[in-house]
Amino acid sequence: MLTFTLRRLSLFIFTMLVLTLLSFSLSFLFPGDTVINHSGQINATATELAQLNKVYQMDKNIFTQYGAYLTHILNGDFGYSMASHSPISIEIIKLLPATIELSLVALFIAMLIGIPLGFIAAINHNKASDNAILSFAMLGYSIPVFWLGLLAILIFSIGLGWLPSAGQISLLFEIEFVTGVQFIDILLSDSPYKWQAFSNASAHIILPACVIALAPATIFIRLSRAAMIEVLAASYIRAAKAKGLSFKQIIFRHAIRNALIQIIRHVGLQFANLVTLAMVTEVIFSWPGIGRWMIESISQRDYTAIQSGLLVLSCFIFIIHILTDFIYAALNPLARGNNHGS
Amino acid sequence: MVVLTMNFKSILSLIIVAFISILTGCNETNILSLSERSIIYCSEGSPETFNPQLSISGTTTDASAKQLYNTLIIYTDKKNTLGPSLAKSWHVTRDGKKITFYLRQDVKFHHTSYFTPTRLFNADDVLFSFNRVLDKKHPFHQVSGGQYPFFQSVNFTDLVEKVEKINDFTVRFILKRNDSSFLANLATDYAVILSEEYGQTLQNKSTPHDIDILPIGTGPFKLKDYRVGSLIRFYRHDAYWQGKAKIEQLVYDISPRETSRLTKLLANECDVSSYPIAHGKITERSDLKLESITSLNVGYFGFNTKKEPFNNKLVRQAISLAINKQVLIDTIYQGQAARAKSILPKTSWAYDSETPELGYDPIRAKSLLEVAGYTQGFTMDLWAMPVQRTYNPNALTMAKLIQADLKKIGVEVKIVSYEWITFLRRLSLGEHQSFLLGWNADHPDPDNFFTPMLSCSSSEKGSNPTFWCNKEFDQLLKNALSTTNISKRKSYYAKAMRIINEEMPLLPIAHSKRFQARGIDVEGNILEDFGGISFYQVTKKPKKIQYEDLLEPGKAEKVSN
Amino acid sequence: MAREKIYLEEVFPSPFMQLWGIFRKTPVAMVGFCCFIFLIILAIFAPIISPYSPVEGHLDMILLPPAWHTDGNVSYLLGTDELGRDMLSRLMYGTSLTFGLSFIVVIFSLVIGVVIGSLSALTKGIKSSFLNHFLDVILSIPSLLLAIIIVAILGPGIGNTVWAIAIVFIPQFIHITRYAVKEEFRKDYVLASRLDGASNFRILYYSVFPNIVERLMSQATLAQSAAILDIATLGFLGLGAQIPLPEWGAILANGLEHFYIAPWTVYLPGLAILFAVVATNLVGEGIRHALKLRKEN
Repeated sequence: MLTFTLRRLSLFIFTMLVLTLLSFSLSFLFPGDTVINHSGQINATATELAQLNKVYQMDKNIFTQYGAYLTHILNGDFGYSMASHSPISIEIIKLLPATIELSLVALFIAMLIGIPLGFIAAINHNKASDNAILSFAMLGYSIPVFWLGLLAILIFSIGLGWLPSAGQISLLFEIEFVTGVQFIDILLSDSPYKWQAFSNASAHIILPACVIALAPATIFIRLSRAAMIEVLAASYIRAAKAKGLSFKQIIFRHAIRNALIQIIRHVGLQFANLVTLAMVTEVIFSWPGIGRWMIESISQRDYTAIQSGLLVLSCFIFIIHILTDFIYAALNPLARGNNHGS
Repeated sequence: MVVLTMNFKSILSLIIVAFISILTGCNETNILSLSERSIIYCSEGSPETFNPQLSISGTTTDASAKQLYNTLIIYTDKKNTLGPSLAKSWHVTRDGKKITFYLRQDVKFHHTSYFTPTRLFNADDVLFSFNRVLDKKHPFHQVSGGQYPFFQSVNFTDLVEKVEKINDFTVRFILKRNDSSFLANLATDYAVILSEEYGQTLQNKSTPHDIDILPIGTGPFKLKDYRVGSLIRFYRHDAYWQGKAKIEQLVYDISPRETSRLTKLLANECDVSSYPIAHGKITERSDLKLESITSLNVGYFGFNTKKEPFNNKLVRQAISLAINKQVLIDTIYQGQAARAKSILPKTSWAYDSETPELGYDPIRAKSLLEVAGYTQGFTMDLWAMPVQRTYNPNALTMAKLIQADLKKIGVEVKIVSYEWITFLRRLSLGEHQSFLLGWNADHPDPDNFFTPMLSCSSSEKGSNPTFWCNKEFDQLLKNALSTTNISKRKSYYAKAMRIINEEMPLLPIAHSKRFQARGIDVEGNILEDFGGISFYQVTKKPKKIQYEDLLEPGKAEKVSN
Repeated sequence: MAREKIYLEEVFPSPFMQLWGIFRKTPVAMVGFCCFIFLIILAIFAPIISPYSPVEGHLDMILLPPAWHTDGNVSYLLGTDELGRDMLSRLMYGTSLTFGLSFIVVIFSLVIGVVIGSLSALTKGIKSSFLNHFLDVILSIPSLLLAIIIVAILGPGIGNTVWAIAIVFIPQFIHITRYAVKEEFRKDYVLASRLDGASNFRILYYSVFPNIVERLMSQATLAQSAAILDIATLGFLGLGAQIPLPEWGAILANGLEHFYIAPWTVYLPGLAILFAVVATNLVGEGIRHALKLRKEN
């Protein structure tokens, strides 16, 4: 486990370096002055500009410049947003938790729906229910997420009036910002309307989370179906059968456990996909997350915000990736020895 | 151990209760009372600042002026009548150069988490507010950029010699010359009164910028929270001098996308929505109503006269001739607007029906382009504003129609759009070639259409993105202001309009109504006759009564004009 | 010379033809394939067969509902949008933008990816290992996110979207080619050719490629369905095709403001995207299914 941890840690540092290098080089790739792209201070006067050039060591060679940039990032200084002129680190701290919350709930829903369906399909391999589930899965990952979101709003918010269509919580509730994760903040708050706020927030998250969850859920269906078919074909299952265990016992005691371990390996990769879907969905459901903020920044050509947003978002995805790797390794000792990952 | 199990049991039961209440949404009474005491307003954009002195964008004044502040005097009705507000009464000397205001003595400033007032409103506050604009050496003049677009555009600094404090509750304005629109300008949303004591406090804390970000005023609401692009939360100002507002909380849900505003309105997630689209959809719903108000405005297509090829008058005329205004009005305003002959709407007293209008004539447009030397046509950019305003409910679609019209005379149009604040900033820097914008009158005096929009001073200050400056035109405006004789003024303005229609710094398109939609449980006037909106008089009916209303469909009036 | 004809040669179909044989017998896959061919034809001939211009509006026919609606007009089969532009024509032109461009992008990145991938499969050592790690990092970023990043650098626009998506897909094809070629090289028949003295490139061209072509095709269909969704999503977000291009995602975004009064301006482009993606996925599934069956036989 120690070597595994060390190897992952080195991979983590390596990837962080690559990512910061990428985000550093974006300042050069984007139109406009590099140091302004770094700092986002578009209205800087000549003296301020000179000051910035000094701080970012723009007169030195490229490695020193990168070092200066890295120091800023490590100190939590991402510069200022070109559009709103407020510090980007503060904006990100406010927005990122909402995205984390939404994507984790969506991931949970996707797994909750996808994995059992996949198992059912595998157990009824090549039967009608298997085909039905597979067709559903095919449709699910073919549907454009933004269109699905619109249909969901039309049906559930306006047609039936069951669920709200926009935002994280009704704006009437005043929830103090503590962690940024709405549910935790509600529980921490001392508002007299705590439980109403809680139920309101739950109603708000259902629709966007389900919309995001659909495509990953279909992937989980396919993954879990494949994993289950593989497990069911394995010799230990045959052995269990020979021992006289009932089909139910085999499935619940042996097959599910082992199939689940296979699936966890893919959660990290799926999570990246899910976050991308969340970015688009946030736009449709006016979710105050980092995805919507980034897409707005792109259309406003707020380069500093794009650069920092990308860095933070990809770090977040990568951290989840590593985490699932650890969970997988903890559950499956065989994986720890693997030199090249998978 | 027993205690532990007890705890566990109580926690479990708590969780179950919570879960049930989540599922069933019980305790509705509390939610209702909270929502009954609050209004959610779906607004169309983020304000740049909370000080209307600093901006002429309608979004900013809507979010600040009538909610947070008061002015010395106000318009009392649609006619040119002025009434008292923070000033109980006023007196103008015969030569019109000295105006004395007698102030109210019972006005309290907002008490918020960031400021506690220790004294009542008095003459110092008036002096502070106006000197900030007038006096370049005033400690707050340069705070937040030192640009006061409305005041600059009406030449306020040149007009006012000084503002004097006579005693604690009497102030006198001394003017350099007689100006017939001076009082009207003081009644606009821009001439708000700030707190001098707050200014002092901020200066001591050396955070002067806060004066425009964390505002303190005398208005019916005070700021609680502002998150750019997301929401503005106001609380009621309980000690408001006209009596406290009926709602306790006012939330601006900032929703720049028109579809998302409509969605929220249809899903009852907001009580009132600014600039709604799909009027038909709203009127067919029995729980919503659409209202409109005739406002003095003009939507126009402007040219940057400092840039190629629009520095050439012929090109401006050619482009104007190639645009089919009637189609724009039918499509964009759905027929709910009057075609603009010039910049003044028909309802203004200075309107001149004789003004010649440049019609739709693509053939002449093409020949004018040839005379101007653009036989092959050219490529231009067209900046379409990203928000809906009364004068232009959908600039992007309008831009597309213009794109199609201009293609016919061989001109390629590239449509450009930015987020509102960025759009205005870049526009004032003159990065554009042509743009779609408009003007909402702040008061019924016709000068408000001319000086702030097209005078030389406004083009120098950047509030006139055509950057057009015509000496003859400017002189006419000055002449019109120096007299109170209505018929003389009218003839000056008529001449000025002819110059505009000849020089074509901009092509006036339409004068439109301002629309707003709300749930039928929201009562009270919101749309003001001039300029912005005010939530002071709004109340919310309890839901019960609303159902009774629904039983009687005749009672639910759908469109009230 | 005549000696070669002495033995009666058994007709042995190429792997590709075997695959086609199985594929042909799967009805669902064939339906998808027909739809796919239909879309390709539509993409090529849209300018000829579409009844109206996709950009110019008929201002007397604004927001006309589809023909089956009571207010519809048969000459505008799928209705019109807010500028009176015929939806059918816009969707047809949109086929060449959304579907056609995604097809071209995939072919382009396939070619580049296969060339680089097979070259890299022949290299060994540190270069190879570096490439491996680099590809791993790139591939772990979802294609849409990567495309958004690249569009952010290049600036919004349909041309830039296409470049972005091409750049995103090349690593995928490099990876799969590299992997497949390496795998084939380990097989005995390659060893046989090598013993015959064939050069690496000759082996690649004559022995390896015919055996991996269907795997590449399967990957290409996956890439194509992702490309359609990516182009449409970027168009929808306003980062891809700009006004007034009739790209499906952009049409949908454009129809959004009339969602409640003219829902067909949103339904139809959405359905078009769904149709194209499902058709592509059916073809892909068909290929994978056939591959599996061939392996089993």
